[in-house]
Amino acid sequence: MSGTQNAPRSIVTTESAPVRWLLTGIALLFVALFLVIPLVSVFAEAFKQGWRLYLAALVEPDAWSAIKLTLLTAVIAVPLNLVFGVAAAWAIAKFDFKGKSFLITLIDLPFSVSPVVAGLIYVLLFGAQGWWGPWLAEHDIKIIFAVPGIVLATVFVTFPFVARELIPLMEAQGSEEEQAALVLGASGWQTFWRVTLPNIKWGLLYGVILANARAMGEFGAVSVVSGHIRGMTNTIPLHVEILYNEYNFVAAFACASILALLALVTLAAKSYVEWAAARQAAEDRRHAVE
Amino acid sequence: MSIEVKNINKRFGDFVALDNINLDIQTGELLALLGPSGCGKTTLLRIVAGLETADQGSILFHGEDATDTHVRERQVGFVFQHYALFRHMTVFENVAFGLRVRPKHTRPTEAAIKQKVHALLELVQLDWLADRYPAQLSGGQRQRIALARALAVEPRVLLLDEPFGALDTQVRKELRRWLRRLHDEMHITSVFVTHDQEEALEVADRVVVMNKGRIEQTGTPEQVYDQPATPFVYQFLGDVNLFHSRVHEGWAEVGGTRFAAPEASDKAVIYVRPHEIDIQRVATDTALAGVITHVRLLGATVRLEVNVAAGDPVEVELTRERYVEGRWSVGEAVWLSPREARVYAG
Amino acid sequence: MAFKQHSVLPGFGLSLGFTLLYLSLIVLLPLSALVVKAGHMEWSAFWHAISEPRVLASYRVTFGASLIAAVINLLFGLLLAWVLVRYSFPGKRIVDALVDLPFALPTAVAGIALATLYAPNGSVGQYLDLVGIKVAFTPLGIVFALTFITLPFVVRTVQPVLQDLEVELEEAAASLGATRWQIFLRVILPTLLPALLTGFALAFARAIGEYGSVIFIAGNMPFVSEITPLMIISKLEQYDYLGATAIALVMLVVSFAMLLVINGLQWWSAKRLGRRK
Repeated sequence: MSGTQNAPRSIVTTESAPVRWLLTGIALLFVALFLVIPLVSVFAEAFKQGWRLYLAALVEPDAWSAIKLTLLTAVIAVPLNLVFGVAAAWAIAKFDFKGKSFLITLIDLPFSVSPVVAGLIYVLLFGAQGWWGPWLAEHDIKIIFAVPGIVLATVFVTFPFVARELIPLMEAQGSEEEQAALVLGASGWQTFWRVTLPNIKWGLLYGVILANARAMGEFGAVSVVSGHIRGMTNTIPLHVEILYNEYNFVAAFACASILALLALVTLAAKSYVEWAAARQAAEDRRHAVE
Repeated sequence: MSIEVKNINKRFGDFVALDNINLDIQTGELLALLGPSGCGKTTLLRIVAGLETADQGSILFHGEDATDTHVRERQVGFVFQHYALFRHMTVFENVAFGLRVRPKHTRPTEAAIKQKVHALLELVQLDWLADRYPAQLSGGQRQRIALARALAVEPRVLLLDEPFGALDTQVRKELRRWLRRLHDEMHITSVFVTHDQEEALEVADRVVVMNKGRIEQTGTPEQVYDQPATPFVYQFLGDVNLFHSRVHEGWAEVGGTRFAAPEASDKAVIYVRPHEIDIQRVATDTALAGVITHVRLLGATVRLEVNVAAGDPVEVELTRERYVEGRWSVGEAVWLSPREARVYAG
Repeated sequence: MAFKQHSVLPGFGLSLGFTLLYLSLIVLLPLSALVVKAGHMEWSAFWHAISEPRVLASYRVTFGASLIAAVINLLFGLLLAWVLVRYSFPGKRIVDALVDLPFALPTAVAGIALATLYAPNGSVGQYLDLVGIKVAFTPLGIVFALTFITLPFVVRTVQPVLQDLEVELEEAAASLGATRWQIFLRVILPTLLPALLTGFALAFARAIGEYGSVIFIAGNMPFVSEITPLMIISKLEQYDYLGATAIALVMLVVSFAMLLVINGLQWWSAKRLGRRK
């Protein structure tokens, strides 16, 4: 009976009941203090003065335009990074070439760059004093303090999500199935659509969910490039900031509660995808045994 | 040191792992717990070690009740199937571990630890690997280090869980002879678990055959092989042909050969080992007619598969010489007669 | 060895080409703009920009608070991973899912929630205020926000390693006479160490760059509770692009260094766990 998972641990390899309760208690207290209470307080503050004020804060035109801009940003940024993630994972996981691990490091880079720096680099490129600022001004193209800048900054901060989910997954799966498809006469695209994609769908979805959450919630990078023009270049997080700084707490938390709801949906979707992926993996193993 | 296992019961949920086990292990003997997987042999070993607790029953070490003694204080050496070497420690530190974790007042000095560990590493003939990490060792080397580590605490009993299970055939043969020699030198009471009958028969002083949480038979290798107490033991230790027969006035028969049947049953199953069957080309009234369908050469012996009128094909084992002399070939009509057999009520 | 090993699969040129182009446009070109811009500065001006007292104070705040937050999460992350892997209690799956909340909850939301909770008149802050502890608008508030933001890292790096830790190792140690505490210190902890350090480094790296959750609770008092990312923002607001660029370059270099450290730790971790290719 070696290393069986989830087997009841024998008396030798666990702690006495009081120690277990104590440790669990401390851990749960930490979770409550740092995770549960802040989450609950968002909704509590939002509804502090009743439903009517809550709804009023959401249907107000500036809030509404912030919601629309947030959705637009995510709708552009996420698919772009999805396509990139799949292409990068295909090249990295299915082929052997020099400089591969360096490329992976570069792909991870946006995760370690401060969001503020991420915003700044686009200002340096497209801002009034940036490299291409004068040229853009001449042709009357606005990127910084406008929607394109917000989208660019969001693309940057969500850049690695899909790729870093897919690379290890596709590396683990190898390329035997693809080779089999090619031997059977499938074209490259057919092989991708019919063999590769079904195998990576859960990993892909997982990456998309995380990228989407970050795209809709990004604050620092977007804050630098947005210019905070109400009704024009405010995403929900930026709108929350403005309302909060104006001491309009109910409205701030009302808008924040949409984002908190989004976070909860994200967590639920993430848990579901993890569960579904684990189930599929278990099924594959069972079939392999049979 | 002797060990007594008294009325041990253990369940995992609805599964009965051990059903009222009683066993005496004598001082200095090398005992094998033999059985198919899931028969409870590992659970029994772990209960003796104190890694698992029994639902009922007791374990006595040298006449003293050790049932509630923590594994830490039981002074047993336990060798795990997959070695369980500490990956972040060198071979030396692995072997020294049991000495270093002793309470301060009984802990040996650094010099004494060093001397002891090197002595043990010499004993298992791996002194030159002291500074390596487990990942750099072969399977056989890891197993010997695991043994040295277990011996470092001067255990009163040595318990080994499938000690050769994860090794390839050549290494496991070498290692089990080595274990036997080591035991003859040290005479420490040892129990090992195995599902390999050859291993149990070759290495152990006594063999305990287990099945479905019960002990089927305890005895020397000769006893369990030559006088199997139950059909299970007969089948588990080596290949066997089964013949079904009605019982007539206390006799069961195969072909025409009669064997004494157990009393008070009208049906019997007759067990005959392949090498206990004579084969000839002449019909007699005490032989079973059949046709050779396969000939398999297995090194020094040859197996003939013979189709008979009723029942499963019969396997007959011949030495290479007798096979060559007889010039047996596929498709020939032959007559079989068992020389020896054991008869159980069917 | 050729640049690429032979393979029968198609699409290498297309996928790698697109990857490199997209990576260059979105990440490499903008980042090099930062380096080039900083390169235009006189050395003395650059040095002045990154070493003026207010900026130096912001480094202290950022690195200090990040370090404390990472240490807090090192301890509690280990505890949380331990409890989630080894014990069972009602609601365990929900707690497990909630650990990722800081990854899913926008930082600005976390920021205003924590600021409101821990303000002197907030629902938690008022009690802390009674015993003289001020969280909001002090460096302590920054530590709280960073602890929240970086909470998942250690848990998520330690959890899988703890899950795969063979029970036999602990049993072997116990049969050799080790106490539970000795087993933890000498067998379990050394095995978890690479994962713990990786999680710690990830948390620290993330905390250094964090902006959204901190600015609401920090109070942003010069020399006391201003973080470095805020210094970049305030330079930008004064149209001091060069000053902002210089500080951003410092942060970028630190990010690179952390990335190298983390890669090194992950390599060590894989080696330590005996995973061989």
